[in-house]
Amino acid sequence: MRQAGALLRLVLGLMAAAAVWEAAVLLFGIRPAYLPRLSTILAAIASTPGAYLDGFLRTLAETSIGFAAGALVGVANGVAFFRWPLLRDMLFPIFVVSQTIPVIAFGALVVLWFGNTLLAKAVIAFYLTFFPVTVNTLLGLQSVNPHQVALLRSFGATGRSLMLRLQLPTALPQIFVALRLGASLSLVGAIVGEWFGDTTGLGVLLLQAMYTENVVGLWAAILCAAVLGTGFYAAVAAAERHLVFWSAEQ
Amino acid sequence: MNRRQLLATIAAAGTVSGVRAQTLTKASLRLKWLPQTQFAGFYIAKARGYYAAEGIDLTINPGGPNLLTENLVATGADTFGLSGGTDSVFAARDKGLPIVCVGVAHQVTPFVYVTRADGPVKTLADFRGKTVTTWFTGANYVLLGMLAQAGIKPADLTLQPQQVSMTPFIEGQSDVATATVYNEYYQLMTRMGADKLRRFVPEDYGVTFPRDTVITSEAVIKDKPDLVGGFLRASIRGWRDALRDPKAGVDTVMAIAPTLDRIAQEFMLTEAGKLMVAGQGAKEGLLWIDQAAVKSAHDFLLKYEVLKKPVDLAAAYNRSFLDAIPAADRLA
Repeated sequence: MRQAGALLRLVLGLMAAAAVWEAAVLLFGIRPAYLPRLSTILAAIASTPGAYLDGFLRTLAETSIGFAAGALVGVANGVAFFRWPLLRDMLFPIFVVSQTIPVIAFGALVVLWFGNTLLAKAVIAFYLTFFPVTVNTLLGLQSVNPHQVALLRSFGATGRSLMLRLQLPTALPQIFVALRLGASLSLVGAIVGEWFGDTTGLGVLLLQAMYTENVVGLWAAILCAAVLGTGFYAAVAAAERHLVFWSAEQ
Repeated sequence: MNRRQLLATIAAAGTVSGVRAQTLTKASLRLKWLPQTQFAGFYIAKARGYYAAEGIDLTINPGGPNLLTENLVATGADTFGLSGGTDSVFAARDKGLPIVCVGVAHQVTPFVYVTRADGPVKTLADFRGKTVTTWFTGANYVLLGMLAQAGIKPADLTLQPQQVSMTPFIEGQSDVATATVYNEYYQLMTRMGADKLRRFVPEDYGVTFPRDTVITSEAVIKDKPDLVGGFLRASIRGWRDALRDPKAGVDTVMAIAPTLDRIAQEFMLTEAGKLMVAGQGAKEGLLWIDQAAVKSAHDFLLKYEVLKKPVDLAAAYNRSFLDAIPAADRLA
């Protein structure tokens, strides 16, 4: 019941925003070059739905693959750095350096290495995701109460069961902070990746609209990207509510 | 198998969906931009199987704002490229990249400088003291060369890099803007009206910069000369189709990029076609390398010290593959 109510409020909020958008453009006579009417944008999507659907699905695939890989590698890195401080001292600075390279410079290299494949875009999404997850996993693991560790050890817990039963669950809220951040970053990565030469994807639609000054097309692509980004973020947040049910931070 | 292919193969392992014909040679063409009718001939040649008929399994890779076609072709990531123009070929050779131009699409300078018909700029001399926007990727040198003839030095005007959008010019933030005749000029025409615009055409001032150059690498020419010949034959066939039947050209491109504006694309194909049959293109055919025009562009850049030392034009521009195609088959 509560969920149904929340959904209803969300739909009402969206409809109100849409009405304000439509009315504002009409009432204030905003020129279409600045902000077209929402109905015009939706009509543009409806006139070539295939292009937008293909773009949406392609970008979704790139984002999900990059995000999933980034999350897995990030958590694994965090655990490894926590277990072996020597590894952390050796590799962490390199990770930091890798993140200071602007993604736009990195993109040209990715095209050289992977060509115009879906994988190339996923790699850029991965590149933006794995680092925050690594850092937050490490922080989360380091914040575990040493008394709890000592207690479990006194019961004969192995390193493995300590990690699975105490340390990782304790770090989970921290990890999810990074995952929510990664959800947005991986979409950015996928879209930037599509700017390095591709035919399908929301990034391609954005670029094409931008360079032909097709403002309606630009907004249509932005709208699709917003739906994708919001949906992805909501999915990660839902997983968090489900997995970290004890945490206050939502 | 080079490194990129190796990585791509590893990536594709497990998703292999079909078996390709063994007899076709795999190759790729990297365009200078996203799919649009500026490249219609290549897309038609691909769609109608002209490359396959030459034994080539061609992948057309679109360009993007941060991709340098010369680099991708030089490293072997792409077999062929449709790159910036004679100017970018000079620059790449100057840097020692092993790329060779084997064809030129646009025989004359594809851009013009535009000002308001009722504005203060009536002649080249009026550029003095005005705000001019242009692309700092070659068009700036053409402009400075034109202005030099009117005795105007770079310091005499405010030269700004032009952004993507034509809106600043339309709103009066600059006096002169640069526009390709097939894209930006169309936008200006539709938003301001052709009668509201005055054009300054580089050719009227004796400056010609052939652009949209077909390039490949020295390695491909050495190892697979037949591939280069076949690619050019098929591309010219595709371009002849696109110019004779523009509707088919637009349809083929719009099938790949359905969100494009059809009328703008029709205009683009018409204008691109004019550029392709201009100059020597009318007599010698499509993708012709006009060596005199290449030399004049080269000498021009040398004179204005954009190029610090001469480029070996015989090594940078190889017309032998076009010469091998009968003249009648090259004509549009």
